[in-house]
Amino acid sequence: MSAIRLRGARIGYGDVAVVQGVDLTVADGEAVAVLGSNGSGKTTLARGLLGLATVLGGEVEVLGAPVGRSRERGRIGYVPQRHTVSGAVPATVREVVGVGRLARLGPFGRLRPADRAAVQDAVAAVGLADRLGDPVASLSGGQQRRVLVARALAAEPELLVMDEPTAGVDAASQDALAAVLADVSATGTTLLVVTHETAALAGVLTRAVVVDHGRIGYDGPLAGAGAESATDGHHHPEGTGLAPSRGYRLDQPRVTTDGGR
Amino acid sequence: MEVLEYGFMQRALLASLMVGLVAPAVGVFLVQRRLSLLGDGLGHVALTGVAVGVLTSTAPVGTALVAAVLGAVLIELVRARGRTSGDVALAVLFYGGIAGGVVLLSLAPQGQATNLEAYLFGAITTTTTADVAVFGVITVVVLGVVSLLGQRLYAVSDDEEYARAVGLPVLALNIVLAALVAATVVLSMRVVGLLLISALMIVPSAVAQQLARSFRQTVYLACGIGLVTSVVGTTASYYTGTPSGGTIVLLAIALFLLATAAVAVREATARRRHRRRAEVHAAHPHEHGAGCGHPAVPHGDHVDYDHDGHLHAVHRTGTGVHYDEHGEHAAPSAGTGGRA
Repeated sequence: MSAIRLRGARIGYGDVAVVQGVDLTVADGEAVAVLGSNGSGKTTLARGLLGLATVLGGEVEVLGAPVGRSRERGRIGYVPQRHTVSGAVPATVREVVGVGRLARLGPFGRLRPADRAAVQDAVAAVGLADRLGDPVASLSGGQQRRVLVARALAAEPELLVMDEPTAGVDAASQDALAAVLADVSATGTTLLVVTHETAALAGVLTRAVVVDHGRIGYDGPLAGAGAESATDGHHHPEGTGLAPSRGYRLDQPRVTTDGGR
Repeated sequence: MEVLEYGFMQRALLASLMVGLVAPAVGVFLVQRRLSLLGDGLGHVALTGVAVGVLTSTAPVGTALVAAVLGAVLIELVRARGRTSGDVALAVLFYGGIAGGVVLLSLAPQGQATNLEAYLFGAITTTTTADVAVFGVITVVVLGVVSLLGQRLYAVSDDEEYARAVGLPVLALNIVLAALVAATVVLSMRVVGLLLISALMIVPSAVAQQLARSFRQTVYLACGIGLVTSVVGTTASYYTGTPSGGTIVLLAIALFLLATAAVAVREATARRRHRRRAEVHAAHPHEHGAGCGHPAVPHGDHVDYDHDGHLHAVHRTGTGVHYDEHGEHAAPSAGTGGRA
């Protein structure tokens, strides 16, 4: 089974398609970077997989079922771009991460000891084991991001979708994230990471899909997508749609403030 | 106690006890969603329901409940369609509810609409035994649903996008929450009146969220605050002859101001202490590190250094190195203490 399968997919908001006619198959256990400049449609592509953007045409299947109708949604982990651990009411790390477990439990199921253990493991995996009972608001920005990663891990996902996990995060935290993702990937979880920069996660992600003007401009090994070749002297493969002069990575600010479209 | 000798006061206190407990249990989720005014909107719609009850000579509590639940479902469907913002949808609900209620009540035969004021401002002492029974059922149902679905309601209120991405039934949960709000509105109608209905949902939560550390604590604390202010306010209104609704709400707001002031003082103290320490170490002769002479104490994702009995966490600022005190005082807010 393939974790993700798109055939002629058109994805957008309202009636407006941002992603057009995309074919993409991601096999179980693959670790894929989705690259592209601001407004290229890479985030829309990811949101389409999560049911957060509208599938306007074609086929979009996630974990073997059409998106939206999938009963497997509880096995998807999602780390949004913004850290939205900013609710008006205080919540502990344990409470926020516990949400990641809920979708697996059916409409009325409650967290059982095994679920609580999974929550603890997820928090420990991101290095916040001693903050489990602390209010999330008392954590630094980087730590709050890790809480959101833990929330996704708590679901023990078969597919983990992350939107710009390294944007605005310091180098040490990026390395920590790479280590966590390497562990997750080793368990067979499929990774789909929307990102501007692949340097920090180059050891984990193996395949790159470059979205350009709503279409796929390049699909192949990460090393060929320009991210690595920019520094080690390789040439861009022909037909990648990536003119080095408008490199989608190096010219981008590390912190993006657009809505993540 | 003299106040308990009268049947009408016994019923009043029972009603205020139930309202005080239930309203914050629902209100916490509205505060979390930043939809604090939804209760007011549904209160206005409930007025239309009251008018229908008066016109058709049926129990206004029942018709108000139906109107408020219908309004609640409608507003969630409008929000989910995404064509109108929640803000505008709420506004239309406000005006439509009040206008509908006023127009319908004006059609009632002369003398029928005299108790409009009782619904607008509350008239807890007119609570009948039948009302108490209905309130009891609403209380049990609302608290039951909150305890059954509380975690999911929290999930949707906290991060609706994430909840949708992982397949939680977001629309259904939103409708359930809105229906809970509608039921609470009708429950509160007699005690605090339609114009003050949201106050008992929101103000106790606003107090609790400043003092609690977790969402669960906030819910329990808010319910406790609601219960105490409601019962104390009702009792006080008996002795002072003031309206129960206004008395309860003023009491809750006084608590809110007190809590806000207390938290502000605590944070200012913590900040001052932090600044004093920072000044002491501004002329620090070395950066902490391996072998600097200060014992290293691992702390989460960083290392603190034991420095004259308190812990230093180094972090860089625009101008140089700065030391946070860890282990001395808890982080006053999202800022100073947690970062390293």
